Amino acid sequence: MNAIANPKPATTDTVLRVQGISKSFGDNHVLKDISFDMQKGEVVSLLGPSGCGKSTLLRCINWLEEPDAGHIRLNSERMGYAGSGAKMNDTQLSQMRSRIGMVFQHFALWPHMTVLENVMASPVHVQKRDRKEVENEARAVLKRVGLEDKMDMLPSRLSGGQKQRVGIARALAMKPEILLFDEPTSALDPMLVGEVLEVMRDLAADGATMVIVTHEMKFARQVSSRIIFMDSGHIIENRSPEDFFDHPQTDKAKTFLHSVQYK
Amino acid sequence: MNFYDYLSFVYGALSTVGVSFVAIIVGIPLGLGLALLRWARIPVFGKCAYLYVSIVRSCPAVTLIMLIYFGLPQFGISLNPFVAALISFSITATAFNCEIWRSSLLAFDRSQYEAAQAFGMTRWVRFRHVLLPQIWRSSIPGLINEMTLLVKNSPAISVIGLLDITRAAQRIGARTYEPIPPLLLGFAIYIIIVMLLIELQKRLETRIRSAGI
Amino acid sequence: MNLTDFQIIYDERETIYQGIEATLSLVFISGVVSVFVGLVLTPLFFSKVSWLRKAVEWLCSAMRCSPFLLFVYVIYFGLPSYGINFDKYTSGLVALIVYHSAYMAIILRSAWVDIPADILEAGTAYGFRGAAMIRRIIGPLLLMRSIPMVGNQWIQIIKDSAYLGIISVVDITAAFNSIQSIYFNPFVCFIVAGLMYWLLCLLIEFIVNGVAHYARERIA
Ligand SMILES: Nc1ncnc2c1ncn2[C@@H]1O[C@H](COP(=O)(O)OP(=O)(O)O)[C@@H](O)[C@H]1O
Ligand SMILES: [Mg+2]
Repeated sequence: MNAIANPKPATTDTVLRVQGISKSFGDNHVLKDISFDMQKGEVVSLLGPSGCGKSTLLRCINWLEEPDAGHIRLNSERMGYAGSGAKMNDTQLSQMRSRIGMVFQHFALWPHMTVLENVMASPVHVQKRDRKEVENEARAVLKRVGLEDKMDMLPSRLSGGQKQRVGIARALAMKPEILLFDEPTSALDPMLVGEVLEVMRDLAADGATMVIVTHEMKFARQVSSRIIFMDSGHIIENRSPEDFFDHPQTDKAKTFLHSVQYK
Repeated sequence: MNFYDYLSFVYGALSTVGVSFVAIIVGIPLGLGLALLRWARIPVFGKCAYLYVSIVRSCPAVTLIMLIYFGLPQFGISLNPFVAALISFSITATAFNCEIWRSSLLAFDRSQYEAAQAFGMTRWVRFRHVLLPQIWRSSIPGLINEMTLLVKNSPAISVIGLLDITRAAQRIGARTYEPIPPLLLGFAIYIIIVMLLIELQKRLETRIRSAGI
Repeated sequence: MNLTDFQIIYDERETIYQGIEATLSLVFISGVVSVFVGLVLTPLFFSKVSWLRKAVEWLCSAMRCSPFLLFVYVIYFGLPSYGINFDKYTSGLVALIVYHSAYMAIILRSAWVDIPADILEAGTAYGFRGAAMIRRIIGPLLLMRSIPMVGNQWIQIIKDSAYLGIISVVDITAAFNSIQSIYFNPFVCFIVAGLMYWLLCLLIEFIVNGVAHYARERIA
């Protein structure tokens, strides 16, 4: 397994280093010794059949789930453990988490806040940045995702695609070092998928470091610098999109590509 | 506390449970009647049922019981306190029951009832064999909850001189100058009553489930 | 019932005002305070500290089993044995607050459990925790989601406040009771008292419906 999990030493450009992560829920071994690195500006698509552990891996990266074994390093700082090796307290954890942007399948916007408030909440209340400055940035970010005219609306008034663009804006406003997307378009009507992918494509072109769990194969091929393919808790392919899509090495990957009707 | 003190607790418990029990027995059919009036959207009566529930639901138990016991004799209807308590609690129970039945009725699929009509069932048969079994099942938690509400409001009967658990506890405390022990004993009796009611709810629910109605 | 009955009530308006003032102030203060105390108690249901969790669970079950009047007696007659003396109004107020805070906590707990998990998870993922999480995310959602239930509880507070006449707090019911004991017009007195409670409850319902309308599109 280790041959396909990045063997190179971490460089100064390594944003994320995942080393030997394992996670079980009771008897269910969901992640088994997962390792990979991400360089600054890389876009990795995380593919695999449903239930293979993709969401769990993303949740381990920002410590929403605590892995049973292994290390996560964000720009060489270890997630979950302070310098002394002791477990991080809640304050330290929350500071670490606010350096990672997460976009959820079902948007998970805070329904009682307006669009602008959703975007400003974490920078103001967690990162404790200056409200005026945050507000200007939030407006800019919302403009970037094409929602400058929806800022004072409540999420319940938005379409799914608009909600997810707010979700992305909320992540961007924290100036995260890495963005995690967990099936950002799976809950959307087919008509609305495009506008969200558009925004993500734009981010990728802008040099954002992103991990994307998605079922949009064409999109994954276009934007990714690398594809990681998982099956029952293992990484079984970790290669360039052209290699992966045109010459899948494993039977599992072939079956998977066949099942999602990727031609 | 002496023997008579314990006896007064027994007496108090009997009136607490008795009043609540009778009230709910009276309240079940009357409440169902009111709820059906609203469900069937009968013009004036439906509105009256609504008004009745709204007023009674917001009237404190103490106020209502004094209205019945002190107020009715003005019209030549004099009641003994126990009967006044029963009437007052039945009025309350009817209003609460109406709400319980009504929410079951709202959850009930009207078209089923109309389908039964299409099969030529008479009004009574439809009510007895289609509507009632279904709403009865979904009403049980509400009915038990109402019973505990009635038990918790039963101390109101002490304002017309009746002895309930709370009044018994308070009286003993006033005599012995040790208010806490009898209050705790009273509290323990309420806990037992509430637990018995919860047990009753479980029994009824399993029985209904196994009977498959 | 005739015109003179109402004339009597009008002439005794000073007593009635006193009763209305007592009922309104008791209901208003305990209604507001119990929601806040409930908000403080609710997170304890989910505390990692097991004795805290046990304590709040015990408190809430105890209040759920106890009639309000019994609890009033504990405060008014029982606490003085421990050297704590409140006057009757304060006893009544404390009893209303403590008793109904427990019910509010139960209401808020069930609303908490009903908040979609991913909304809370997003809070954690974005670095919210502890007090900030409760103040910014959980608290507002809890309050908005539980408005109808809280409204019902407020009506319960109004009704329970009438028990305080038994420890000689002059509330609406006690005020009318004292009038009828002088003029022997119990029927009209208690009818008017009942109507006042009805109006008060309608007012609460009106406010609750308004707020619920505001909250509807803000609760996911
Ligand atoms: N909190 C949890 N408790 C128990 N089992 C879980 C939990 N989260 C995920 N799982 C299990 O872990 C496996 C992987 O889930 P997930 O990471 O959501 O897969 P994917 O996102 O790839 O579809 C599934 O079998 C799922 O049932
Ligand atoms: Mg998933």
